[in-house]
Amino acid sequence: MRTTPKTEYFRLSNAAEVETLLEQILPVGWKLESLEVSKEQKEFYDTFEWQAFDNKIAIVKKQAFLFLVDLITGRETHSVPFQKNCPSFLATSLPSSPLKEKLYSCSNIRAFSKLCTLDTRIYSYHILDDNDKTLAILTAESFCLQRSESQEPFMHLFALSPLRGYEDEIAPISQFLSVQKRSESLMDFREIFLLIMHEARQNIKGYSAKIQLKLNPDATIHESALQLLQHTLSVMRLNENGIKKDIDSEFLHDYRVAIRRTRSIMKQLMGIFLEKESRYFLTLFRELGKKTNDLRDRDVYLLREESYFNSLPPYLQPSLRPFFENIAESRKDFYKRLCRYLSSIDYQLSLNEWETFLNQQSLQNAELTLQGSRSTKIVATESIKKAWKKVIRHGRQISRETTDTELHALRIDCKKLRYLLEFFASIFQPETITPVIRQLKELQENLGAFVDFAVQLRFLHEQLESMASDKLLAASIGGLMATLFQKQEEARLKFHKTFASFDHEETSQLFHDLLTGCSP
Amino acid sequence: MKTIALYSIKGGVGKTAAAVNLSYLSSRFSPPTLLCDLDPQGASSYYFRISASKKYNSDKFLKGNKKIYSNIKATDFENLDLLPSDFSYRNLDIELAEEKKPQKKLKKNIEELSNDYQFLFFDSPPNLTLLSESLFAASDIILVPLIPTTLSIRTFMQLKDFFEANKLNSSKIHPFFSMVEKQKKLHRDIINEFRNTPGFLTQTIPYNSEVEKMGIYRAPINAVHPNSPASKAYLHLWEELTELQR
Repeated sequence: MRTTPKTEYFRLSNAAEVETLLEQILPVGWKLESLEVSKEQKEFYDTFEWQAFDNKIAIVKKQAFLFLVDLITGRETHSVPFQKNCPSFLATSLPSSPLKEKLYSCSNIRAFSKLCTLDTRIYSYHILDDNDKTLAILTAESFCLQRSESQEPFMHLFALSPLRGYEDEIAPISQFLSVQKRSESLMDFREIFLLIMHEARQNIKGYSAKIQLKLNPDATIHESALQLLQHTLSVMRLNENGIKKDIDSEFLHDYRVAIRRTRSIMKQLMGIFLEKESRYFLTLFRELGKKTNDLRDRDVYLLREESYFNSLPPYLQPSLRPFFENIAESRKDFYKRLCRYLSSIDYQLSLNEWETFLNQQSLQNAELTLQGSRSTKIVATESIKKAWKKVIRHGRQISRETTDTELHALRIDCKKLRYLLEFFASIFQPETITPVIRQLKELQENLGAFVDFAVQLRFLHEQLESMASDKLLAASIGGLMATLFQKQEEARLKFHKTFASFDHEETSQLFHDLLTGCSP
Repeated sequence: MKTIALYSIKGGVGKTAAAVNLSYLSSRFSPPTLLCDLDPQGASSYYFRISASKKYNSDKFLKGNKKIYSNIKATDFENLDLLPSDFSYRNLDIELAEEKKPQKKLKKNIEELSNDYQFLFFDSPPNLTLLSESLFAASDIILVPLIPTTLSIRTFMQLKDFFEANKLNSSKIHPFFSMVEKQKKLHRDIINEFRNTPGFLTQTIPYNSEVEKMGIYRAPINAVHPNSPASKAYLHLWEELTELQR
């Protein structure tokens, strides 16, 4: 690779300072040639989960172009024309380009949303030697955050980029700038990015749908459960805005997972709250979950649009277009309906009620129930053991025919076990819990695929029954159903083999190690 | 990477001016580009205000790849780098004679650069030595500027003869007329006589005082006066050169 020397960054208290400073250090005959001042607006984008940042990329829009900037070197690595002025976009909506590929690999499902807009003023200089040869380019950039109370720049940043072959000549200048009292030398562009995000009050990596609780194994299960339930509540709240703004389908997905986790833990740890209260809130969350089903179903089909098209011969593909248009149309209604509900007083009251319930719980409440005052590690061990045994028992009962009902039920058992493992993960050694989850995941993938195909087949069957006589569409749906059916049968056939590997001495030993490793 | 040599046995024919301007155009239209100054007089390097590091010499050049790599310098123009020449290059052909396969040396020495640049231009010293032979082997195209005079044509014929005698691939050679003064009948006659000869490029470069002034402002004329007749001629020559590669 043709290399360009690394740019060094400095912060000074104001932009005018650099000329005075450099006058002191430039060798005789050298000079600072000032170029024109330019203004630029920069918009930064990333997904709700900071997936570009995780891949060491900053996404910047400026002058009707979208750029990818390497967070380490600060170099612009990719660009595409980008006229749109939108709050968010999906990688799939970009024109075919290496930039699109790169963002698609960061996330093919989450939207990249605008994080902040900066107004920058750039002063550029060339550092010339006594032959008037440019040895380095120095830019001084002042950053102002749009829509902030203060219109004063919050940062003056200097970037010193030696031209190739002149690193040695420029080294003393960079050295000089970095030891100045009024200057602060920055490691790389990543640090600048962090400063900008801090100023824009963007909490980098502030969101994760994953459970990252640190439970105390000796605390009461009542206390630990509260911790988890408070976490799932916060995940729900954090996703509400994204659902309402319809940024991408993952907001609703995470929201639903949080509801499921809440319900699953409440049910499996029945007895830690008073029965009446548990029943009340379980109903509340079941109803809330139901309200999201229709919208999620439509999302899932729309996400499958491309794969549906690709599995049909080209002459049948156009007939699917109105089919997906209908889904998109009905999605609009379900979306509006859910938004209306999420903004309703009814919903706010329900969630507030739940929050108040969680906050008001105290030690006394723990002692009100038999279960509540038991230690977390005992309940964890017992409940995981129970759920694991249940999976084994139900799995073994599955007949040679492996009916849909049997697989559906086992899938739910597995999910329950998975939620327990994830909930209690922090009280186990990572080396004992990771292999257990890995084994379970394999089984869940098989069952998940099976159920997924079954649900799709049912949906398509319903469509077939209700549609007007459109020969081509019927043929398309028939084609899709044949493919899905074949895949479903493959998953069904695979089940016994997959389950056998889960119901195996080795897995059993893993569970044994896990549960004894933590037992008192 | 395409390699293009600006070569002539005769000096003062506009070799360096063509190397500087064509490499500049190449860096604009097919970036990135490297200009490799092989002439110990270092005129190309001078035009770009670049001199080699004190530690750099012909020895390092002959060591090749890594040593060459660390001595490449950026010009003031984006995507145009230069490997400056050093006065020690005057002995390059003698040193080359001591190498095992001197004719293949240059080709081997630039191998590693092939991923870095789309175009590599050589500006070469005016003579016919072992270095020239090595240059012929390393180049995909050998551009020969010719002043439309009898002497110039004679040196070109010498070059053709040399290629034939040594069984070299003479289809690489592409002459073009340089420093053309249309008002001179001799220039017009010679151009008319040779313009349809296979291998000759049709675009000619006019004699232009702006080109001579390149020594004063030390930059490609195409960068400073893109609309001057000479700039336009170089641009058309570049276009013809890209056609040649199709």
